[in-house]
Amino acid sequence: MRLSINWLKDYLLNQDLKLNPKEIGEKMTMRGLAVESIGSSSRGLNNVVVGKIEKIDKHPNADRLQVTSVRISKDESVKPLQIVCGAKNISVGDVVPVALIGAVLPGDFKIKESKIRGVDSFGMICSGKELELSEDTDGILQLPKHSSIGDPLAHLVGSDDSVLEFDLTANRGDCLSILGLAREIAPTLKTRIRDPKPARFKVSSHRTSSILKVEVPDATICPRYTAVVIDNLKVTESPEWIQQRLKSVGLRPINNIVDITNFVMLEYGQPLHAFDLRKIESGIIKVAACERETDLQLLTGESVQLQPGDILIQDGDKPIALAGIMGGASTGISAETTSIILESATFNHAQIRKTAKRLGLHTDSSKRFERKVDFMGVGAASERAASLLRDSFDGNVYYPPIDTNAEPPKQLSVSIDMRDVRKVTGLYNLSSEKTADLLESIGITTHKRSANILVAKIPSFRNDLEKSVDMVEEVARLIGYEIIPERFPVPSAPDREFDDEEFLFELHIRHSLAGMGMRECIHYSFTSENNLIRYGVLPDHPVRLSNPISDEFKVLRPSLLPSLLETYRYNRNRNLESQRLFEVARTYLWDESVETTVKETSRVAGLLSGMRSPQGWVKDSTTVDFYTLKGLVENLISQNTTVSLAYEPVTSDKLFFPNRSAVLKLGTTEVGFIGEIHPHVREGVLETDEPLVIFELNLDVLRKYRRRTVRFKKPSKFPAVSLDIAITVDKSVAHQSLIETIRGAGGELLDKADLFDVYAGENIPMGKRSLAFHLSFLSSDRTLEEAETETLKSKIIQALQDTHGAQLRA
Amino acid sequence: MINEINRIRDEARSKISTADDLKELDRLRVQYLGKKGLVTAVLKSLKDMGPDERKELGAVVNKCKDDLESQLEVRKLDIQRRHIEKELTRTDPLDVTQPGKFVIPQGSLHPVTMVIEEMVTIMRRLGFNIATGPEVETEYYNFEALNTPDDHPARDAQDTFYLNPPVLLRSHTSPVQIRTMKKSEPPLQIISFGRVYRSDYDLTHTPMFHQMEGLMVDQDISLADLKGVVLYLIRELFGKRPVRFRPSFFPFTEPSAEIDVQWDNQWLEIGGCGMVHPNVLQAVDYDVDRWTGFAFGMGIERIAMLKYGIDDLRSFFENDYRMLEQF
Repeated sequence: MRLSINWLKDYLLNQDLKLNPKEIGEKMTMRGLAVESIGSSSRGLNNVVVGKIEKIDKHPNADRLQVTSVRISKDESVKPLQIVCGAKNISVGDVVPVALIGAVLPGDFKIKESKIRGVDSFGMICSGKELELSEDTDGILQLPKHSSIGDPLAHLVGSDDSVLEFDLTANRGDCLSILGLAREIAPTLKTRIRDPKPARFKVSSHRTSSILKVEVPDATICPRYTAVVIDNLKVTESPEWIQQRLKSVGLRPINNIVDITNFVMLEYGQPLHAFDLRKIESGIIKVAACERETDLQLLTGESVQLQPGDILIQDGDKPIALAGIMGGASTGISAETTSIILESATFNHAQIRKTAKRLGLHTDSSKRFERKVDFMGVGAASERAASLLRDSFDGNVYYPPIDTNAEPPKQLSVSIDMRDVRKVTGLYNLSSEKTADLLESIGITTHKRSANILVAKIPSFRNDLEKSVDMVEEVARLIGYEIIPERFPVPSAPDREFDDEEFLFELHIRHSLAGMGMRECIHYSFTSENNLIRYGVLPDHPVRLSNPISDEFKVLRPSLLPSLLETYRYNRNRNLESQRLFEVARTYLWDESVETTVKETSRVAGLLSGMRSPQGWVKDSTTVDFYTLKGLVENLISQNTTVSLAYEPVTSDKLFFPNRSAVLKLGTTEVGFIGEIHPHVREGVLETDEPLVIFELNLDVLRKYRRRTVRFKKPSKFPAVSLDIAITVDKSVAHQSLIETIRGAGGELLDKADLFDVYAGENIPMGKRSLAFHLSFLSSDRTLEEAETETLKSKIIQALQDTHGAQLRA
Repeated sequence: MINEINRIRDEARSKISTADDLKELDRLRVQYLGKKGLVTAVLKSLKDMGPDERKELGAVVNKCKDDLESQLEVRKLDIQRRHIEKELTRTDPLDVTQPGKFVIPQGSLHPVTMVIEEMVTIMRRLGFNIATGPEVETEYYNFEALNTPDDHPARDAQDTFYLNPPVLLRSHTSPVQIRTMKKSEPPLQIISFGRVYRSDYDLTHTPMFHQMEGLMVDQDISLADLKGVVLYLIRELFGKRPVRFRPSFFPFTEPSAEIDVQWDNQWLEIGGCGMVHPNVLQAVDYDVDRWTGFAFGMGIERIAMLKYGIDDLRSFFENDYRMLEQF
C-alpha cells in the first residue's frame, strides 16, 4: 500500500502541520504498520531550481555551444552562474530549469563542476526529457515567465511529494486505504482525521427501480450489494487533481469513470466497479455462485475458467464479472459509455481468496475483499464516487440506490480486563483511563463497566478486533513495545524426559565426523526423480510433492547418498580431489502406519575420495579404500554407541559394488551400508577413476544404544603375555569367522586378538592367504605361566585347523 | 692399609676424571663402590680388625667412599653438560614454517549447525529443553491448531509444499509446539530446530531453510519475559547491539512482534515472536485462565549470514568445498 504525503494531508484536520515522511515512517513501523521504503516523487529534482537567462555569448572554441549567464536567486547580490549550453531554443529572458552542482538527475546523472571545451560550467540547463517531466526532446524546457526565480523546481511542477510504501500484515485490511492510514497517523501528529463526507444521494425523479433490479439469492456469498445508476456521462479525462493523486501512488490514469472508482477505492479501501448500463441486457444484476465450469473473458482480455463456487456478477443468468476480483470484457467502460451501474459491495472473503489464488489473479480489489472490507463503508464509498461523477461531470444519479442490506449489523462490544492487559504487558501501573485514551485516539470508544473492566465499541472498519485478546494487543501496540520492561522468567524444572538426548546424539555424530576430518554438507530434502534413478535408489513408491517448484525438487530423498555424490561431482568439476563429505538428515518413505503417512528416518551418510590425508610434502599418504572408511565408521560407532555391528558382504545392489561392499547389521536389523561404488554408477554417472567410498547409517537404530554411561573396569595388576601366530587359510574364509574361532578357543584369558598382517602371493598356495594375529592373554588375579599360554595357543591353532582347515605358517 | 686405601682412591680418581661417557662412569662406580667393588671390599675387611684400628681405618674408608661418590656426581654432571652442549650445536634446526603433517585432516561443521549448536547452548542455560517433530506434517499441526484456518490470508505468506493434502511439508517449526504441548502438561520450556519448507526460490529465498523455535508456558508469563529471553539470546549471539520489537501479526500469537537487529545502521528482521494465542492453548487443552506463554522463531541462515558475512542464501546448500573449508 502506497501513501502519498500530500494526499494524506487532505484528511488531516490540522492542515498546517509540517509532515516529516521519515518520522511518520518510523512511528508507523513501531505501531505495527511497517513502512518498507520512502520514495520521493521529486526524486531527481533535488537541487534543480528555476533560473532566468540573463546573457548568452558564443563559445570561443565551439560553434554549437553557447556560454550563458543564469540568475538563480531573487537576491541581486547572488552572482549569476556561468553555464555552457548546447541547445538552440534559448534566448535572453527565458525562465528555465537549472540543475545545480550536486543535483542527481534521473538516470543517476550527477551534475558536477566541469570545463567544457575550455570554458568553466557550473550547472546544467535542462530539457523536459532530462528531468523526466516530458517526452519532449526538443531543447530546453521553457517555464512560465512569472515563475519565482530560485524556487525548487519541484514546487513549480507539483511533484513535491513523498510516498510511503507500507508492508501491511494480513489483519489490517482497514489500512489498505488512505483514510485508514490517516486514522493511524493522525494521533501520532496530535491531530484528528477529516472525513471527506460526501453529499448524500438526492431524491430524483429518475427512479433506479425503473431500469434495474438486483438479486442476491444467497447473502452468505454477498452480504451487501449496492448499485447506483448514473447516466448523462461522457467518457473523458478525469480532473487533474485526481490524476495527480493516482499517479503519486503509481496508478495510471485511464478515464474519468475508471479513475474515480480507483480513487475512491484508495481513499476508502472499498473496491468499486462500473458496468456499462447499456450492455446489461436483462435489466437484472444477479450475484450468484458459479454452478458449472464455464469461461469468462475479463477486462484484460484474458479468458479464465470459472469453477463451481466462484462468485459471479451476472446479467440475468450470463456471467459478466468475477465478483470482487475483476470485471468482464463485455460490460466494461468504453469510449462510448454514457450510463453506468456503480457497484459497491462486500463478498465472502474466503471464497474471493480461494478464487483469486486458484486463478493467480491478485488484484487491488481481491486483496481488499480477502481481508474483509468495512460493511458500513460500502455505502459511503458509493456516495463518494457518485457525487464526484455528478459534481465534476454532470452525471445524473438515479434514486434511490439499490442496497440489498441497508440494515447494518449490530456493533460489536468487547470487554477489556485491565488485569489481563497489565499481566500481558508487564506494565502493572497502566490505568484504564490511559488505555481508554489510547483506544479513543484511533476511533475505538470505550466505557468503564467496573474498576478493571472497560467495554470497547468496535467500529465497523476494524473487523480484525473480535475478542479481548485482540484488544490487549491493540493496547500494547499503542503503548509501544519499547515501553514494555525486560524481565527474566524463572525456569521451571521439567519433571519429564525431553528430546535433548535425541537431538544431541545427532550433534555428537556430526562432531565425531568433523573430528575425523569430514566436512559437513546440507542438501535439500528433495531431489529429482532422475537423480534417484541414476544412483539406483528410486523406491517403488517415491514420496513426491504434489506442487513442486520444479522437477529438480520433486521427490523426498529415500537416501542421502545421491546428494553427496552430486556434491562430489560439483566439487570435482572445480578441480577439487580428495573430498571428505558427510550429511546428517532425514530420509522419507511412505508408511501408512505413521500418523503423517511418511516414515522419517534420521541418517548419516559420508563419502571419502582420493588421498587419505592431504597431500603435500608428506610422503606416506595413501589413497582411500574400503578399509579406510570402515575404520572411520567403526570409530564413529564406538565413539557414540555401545553396539558392535556385523559386516556382511553385499551380494547385489545398484549403487554399492557387490562383494566390495558390506551391509551393517545389528542382529537381523539392517543399520547401514558401506563400500565402493558400483562400476555402472562410477563409469556411467560419476565418470571418475578416483578412489571413492561411501557409507550410510540409520541413526534412529544407533541412537537406542547411545553411549550415555560408561562402566569403569579396573585394569589388571598382572602383566599381559603377548604372542603372535600366522596361518594360511582359504581366501573364502572371512576374518570375522577366524576371530570368532580364536575367541572361542582362547576363552576368558584371551584379552585381545588383533589382525596385523594379510598376505597372498609368493610362497602362499593359490586360492589361499596368510593372516597374522597378535594375541594377548591376561588374568585379573594372577600372573600367567608360560605353559598355560602355550596350551591356549595350541588350542587356538587346533581350533583354526579343525574349523577352517587353517595351517600354521612356519 | 691406609696406603692401600689411598692408592685405590687415587687410581679411582684419575679414572673418573678421564671417563667421558655415562656408561663408563657407571662401570667405575660398580668397580669401586658396587657390592663387590674395591672400596666395599676394604670396608668389609674392617670387621676382622680390632676396635681402635677399625675406628681409625673406618673413618678413612668412609671418607674415601664419600669422596669418590661426589667425584662421580660432579663428573656425571660434567659429562651431561658437555653432551647437551654438543647436541645443541650438532642438531640441524627445523624449518618451523613448513606445513604440519598430522595424519588426520581438518574437518568442519556446516555454518547452520554451528549456529544451531550455539543457540542450543545458550537456551539450555536458560532452562529450555529440546523438542523435535516430523518434517512431514498435516494441515492440522501446521495451520489449524496454530489458529490459521483455511481461509486465513496468513496462509498465503507461506506457500506450502503438499504431498497429498492434508499431508504437507512443514512451513515452520511451530507444529513442534503443538505436538509437545499435546503430550506434556505445563509449565513448559522448549526449543526446537530443523528444516522447514516453502515454495519460494529466488535470490533471497530457498525452498528449504532452517528455523529455531522457542516456547515457554507458565503462570504469569508476559511480554516482559519474552523480551528478557529474546534479548539475552541475541546478545549472546551477536554481542550488544540495538534490538527492537516491532508490532506485527501472526495468527498463532497475540500480541505479536517482529524482532529487528541493527546491523550497519539498518534494521534487519531476524525473527518473529509473541504471546501464545489463547486459541492455540485451547487447541492443546491448556487452561487459558491459568497458563500464558510466549513463543518466538528465528531463521538460522539469516543469523549465520550476519555472523559469518555470507551474502547469498543459496550458497548454504551448494556445498562448495571451498566454502565448507572455511568453517
